[in-house]
Amino acid sequence: MPRHIVRLVLLMVAIGAVGYVAKIFFTADSFYEYGHYRGKSVAEIASDKPKYKGSEYCESCHAERFAEWSKGVHNKSDIGKVVKCEVCHGAAGERDVRGMFEHLATGVDHPNKLKLVVPTDARKLCTLCHEKMPGRPAQQPQIVVASHAGTQQCTVCHNPHSPKLNLVSTAPTPIRGDAARGKAKAAACVGCHGAEGVSVNLPGPSLAGQNAAYFIAALKAYGTGARDNPMMSAFAKGASDDDAQDLAAYFAALKCQSSLTAEKQAAAAGRATASKCIACHGADGVSSNRAWPNLVGHSKDYLVAALRAYKSGSRKGNMMAGIVKTLSDAETENVAAYYAGASCK
Amino acid sequence: MEENELEQQDRRDFLSCLGSALACGAAAVAASALAPPATAATAATAGAKPPAIPGYDWSKHRWGYGVDATKCIGCLRCVEACKKENNVLGDAHHFRTWVERYVYLEGEETARIDSHADPVNIAASGSEGEYRFADRYKDAKVEKAFFVPKLCNHCTHPACVQVCPTGATYKTEDGVVVIDHTYCIGCQYCVQACPYGARYFDERRNVTDKCTWCYHRITKGLQPACVEVCPVGARIFGDLNDKQSPISQFVKNNQVQVLRRESGNAPNVFYVGIDKEVI
Ligand code: HEC
Ligand code: HEC
Ligand code: HEC
Ligand code: HEC
Ligand code: HEC
Ligand code: HEC
Repeated sequence: MPRHIVRLVLLMVAIGAVGYVAKIFFTADSFYEYGHYRGKSVAEIASDKPKYKGSEYCESCHAERFAEWSKGVHNKSDIGKVVKCEVCHGAAGERDVRGMFEHLATGVDHPNKLKLVVPTDARKLCTLCHEKMPGRPAQQPQIVVASHAGTQQCTVCHNPHSPKLNLVSTAPTPIRGDAARGKAKAAACVGCHGAEGVSVNLPGPSLAGQNAAYFIAALKAYGTGARDNPMMSAFAKGASDDDAQDLAAYFAALKCQSSLTAEKQAAAAGRATASKCIACHGADGVSSNRAWPNLVGHSKDYLVAALRAYKSGSRKGNMMAGIVKTLSDAETENVAAYYAGASCK
Repeated sequence: MEENELEQQDRRDFLSCLGSALACGAAAVAASALAPPATAATAATAGAKPPAIPGYDWSKHRWGYGVDATKCIGCLRCVEACKKENNVLGDAHHFRTWVERYVYLEGEETARIDSHADPVNIAASGSEGEYRFADRYKDAKVEKAFFVPKLCNHCTHPACVQVCPTGATYKTEDGVVVIDHTYCIGCQYCVQACPYGARYFDERRNVTDKCTWCYHRITKGLQPACVEVCPVGARIFGDLNDKQSPISQFVKNNQVQVLRRESGNAPNVFYVGIDKEVI
C-alpha cells in the first residue's frame, strides 16, 4: 500500500479511537439507562420539595379559623369548589435555592422563618374571583363592585373565612340579665325613651323589643365614646355591665309598638329603597342577625337622624357607612318612613 | 517555483480538510453504532429498575390532565401558584401555564383573545408580578366569552423531544415530558418545535423550561400546584390507569377534545367547553 494511504487510514483509526474515548468519557453514566437521556435526572427532578401544603396543614395550629373556613362557603368540597387557605395567604413552604440547577428537598416552612401574607386589600383579593365580567360562568357568584361595596373593603361586611352573611334567623342568645331588676333600673330611662320603652314624640328612640345583643353593644358604644350623644352618653357611662345586661333583658322582652307618625305615602316610596336594607334588617324591620338592630318601632325622626349620623360620620358603623353613602336625602326620608310604618308582630 | 509551492499548499489543505471530514464521519458512525437503538432502549427499560424515587414506581402510573373550561372563572390563581411552586421568572412573559380569554363581540366573526400578559391586564393588576383579567369588555356587547387554561400537553409523540439535540428533554415512562436542565444547552429548537407554545426560554439560567405537571409533587401523591389551588375544579389531574381517578371519570363522562389534533403529537390534556377557535 502506498505510504500516504496507510497514513490516512491510521489517522482515521486514531481519530475514531479518540472519538470513542471522548464519548465514554463525556456521556453521563446513567445516559441510555431508560432512553436517550440521563436516567438519574428523573429522580433529581422528582426530589424537589413541594411548596403548597394544603389546608389540612393549617388545621393543627389555626384550628379556630380552619373550623370557620371548613363550614363556610369557601369550602364546598362536595361540589369541588374549595378556596384553600394558601390561595389567599400564599404558599406555606419554601425551597432552598443554592445553585442554578440544583434540585433540593430542603427549605423552611411556615411558621418557621416564613411569614404568610395577611391580605390587607381584600377588595383586590376578592374581586379576582367575584368581580362581574363577561366570560365568568353564571354559577360563580359575582358582584358589580361599585354598586355592591362602593369603596369599602369587603371584609367590613364579609368574614373572609366564612363570607356568606348570616342572613338566616338565629335563635336569640340567652340573656344573663334579669328583667325584673332591669325594670327598676329603667325608671331612669322613661323620660326620654317612654313608658314601656315606646317613645312617642320623646327625644330618645323606642327601645321596646330591641335585640339584646345590639342593645348591650349600643350602650357600650356610648360608654366608650364610640357613639356620642349629649343626652344619652351620660346615662350610659353610669351603667355597669350588669346594668346593661338587666336593662337589655327588660327592654328586649317588652312589646314593640308601631311608631305613630308614619306617613303612608313616603313609606310606599321608601319600599324600593328598603330593598338595599332587607338583607340585613328584614322587610319588616326585624334583623336576621341578632347582633344587628331591629328598625321596627322607631320613629321616622330617629331613623332619619341615625342615617344622617352615619352619613356624616359622627356615628361609626362600618356596615352602615357604605350603605348610606348612596342614599339621597329624599331616599333617606322615605326609607325611614317605610320602616317607621312597619308593624310590630 | 512559486506556482509549485502554491499548488502544494492547496493539496495539503485539501487533504487535511478531507481528513477531518472523514474523521468526523467515522466518529459519528462509531457513536451511532455504539448507541443502543431506540427499540433496544425501551426493551431495556422494561427490565431496568425504576428511578430512585422514594415510594414511587413509574411503571404503575399513566398521568393525564383535564380542563373544564365551562368552570374556569379566570382568577389566575393557577398561574400564580405555578410560578411560585416552580421558581418561574416573576414577570408576565415567562410562564408554564396560562389562561386565555376568548371574547366574541356582537357582529364579529373571530374571537378577541387575551391573556394575563396583555398590557391592559397588566395595567389592571398593577404590576407584572400580579395576575388579573381586567374587566375590559364591560361596555361592549359580548355575544359569548369564556376562559381557557393552557399548559404543556405532555404529548404521546412530542415534537420537542424529537428535535432536542442533547437528550435534555424526554418523556418519562409515566407520561410526563420533562427537562434535564443540566443537559439543556439552550438552543431553543424545542421552543420552536412545540405547536402549543408551551415552552419558554429562561434567560436567567440560559435553559428552556416548561410545565412538568409538578413532577416533584405528583410523585409524592400530591396534585400539581395549579390543580391544588383552582377554586372551582376547572383543572383535573390523575392517573389514567386508575379507572376511578378524577381524570378517568372526566374523560369517560365528557365529550373531551384535544388541541391541534392534526399536528400528530397526540396531546394528553383533555378539554371540555371550548370551541373550534381554540387551538
Ligand atoms: C406549626 C403551627 C402552624 C401551622 C401548621 C400554620 N401556622 Fe400560621 N402561624 C403560626 C404561628 C405561630 C403564627 C404567628 C407567628 C408570627 O406572627 O410570625 C402564625 C401566623 C399566621 C398568619 C399571620 C401572619 C402575620 O404576619 O400576622 C397567617 C395568615 C397564617 N399563620 C396562616 C397560616 C396558613 C394559611 C397555614 C396553612 C397553610 C398556617 N398558617 C399553618 C403557626 C402555624
Ligand atoms: C378568601 C381568602 C382567604 C382564605 C381562603 C383564607 N383566609 Fe385567612 N385571612 C384572609 C384575610 C383577608 C385576612 C385578614 C383578616 C381581616 O382583614 O379581618 C385573613 C386573616 C387570617 C389570619 C390572621 C392574621 C392576622 O394576624 O390577623 C389567619 C391566622 C388566617 N387568616 C388563617 C387562615 C387559614 C388557616 C385559612 C384556611 C383554613 C385561611 N386563613 C383561609 C383571607 C383568607
Ligand atoms: C380564588 C377565588 C376566590 C377568592 C379569592 C374569593 N372567593 Fe368567594 N367564592 C369563591 C368560590 C369558588 C365560591 C363558591 C361558589 C359556589 O358556591 O358556586 C365563593 C363563594 C363566596 C360567597 C358566597 C356566595 C353565595 O351566595 O353562595 C361569598 C359571599 C364570597 N365568596 C365572598 C368572598 C369574599 C368577601 C372574598 C374576599 C375575602 C372572597 N370571596 C374571595 C371563590 C373565591
Ligand atoms: C356593606 C356591606 C357589604 C360590603 C362592603 C360587601 N358586601 Fe358582599 N354582600 C353583602 C350582603 C348584605 C350580601 C347578601 C345580600 C344578597 O344576597 O344580595 C352580599 C353578598 C355577596 C356575594 C354573593 C352574591 C350572590 O350573588 O350570591 C358576593 C360574591 C359578595 N357579596 C362579594 C363581595 C365582595 C367581593 C366585596 C368587596 C368588593 C363585598 N362583597 C363587599 C354586603 C356587603
Ligand atoms: C335625656 C334623655 C335620655 C335618657 C334619660 C336616656 N336616653 Fe337613651 N337615648 C337618648 C337619645 C337622644 C338617644 C339617641 C342617640 C343617638 O341618636 O345616637 C338614645 C339612644 C339610646 C340607645 C340606642 C338605641 C338604638 O336603637 O341605637 C339605647 C340602647 C339607650 N338609649 C338606652 C338607654 C337606657 C338604658 C337609659 C336609661 C338608663 C337611657 N337610654 C336613658 C336619650 C336618653
Ligand atoms: C350589611 C348589613 C346591613 C345593611 C344592608 C343595612 N344595615 Fe343598617 N345596620 C347594620 C348594622 C350592623 C347596624 C348596627 C351598627 C351600629 O352598631 O351602629 C345597623 C344600624 C342601622 C340603623 C341604626 C339603628 C339604631 O337602632 O340606632 C339604622 C337606622 C339602619 N341601620 C338603617 C338601615 C337602612 C335604612 C338600610 C338600607 C338603606 C340599612 N340599614 C342597610 C347593618 C346593615
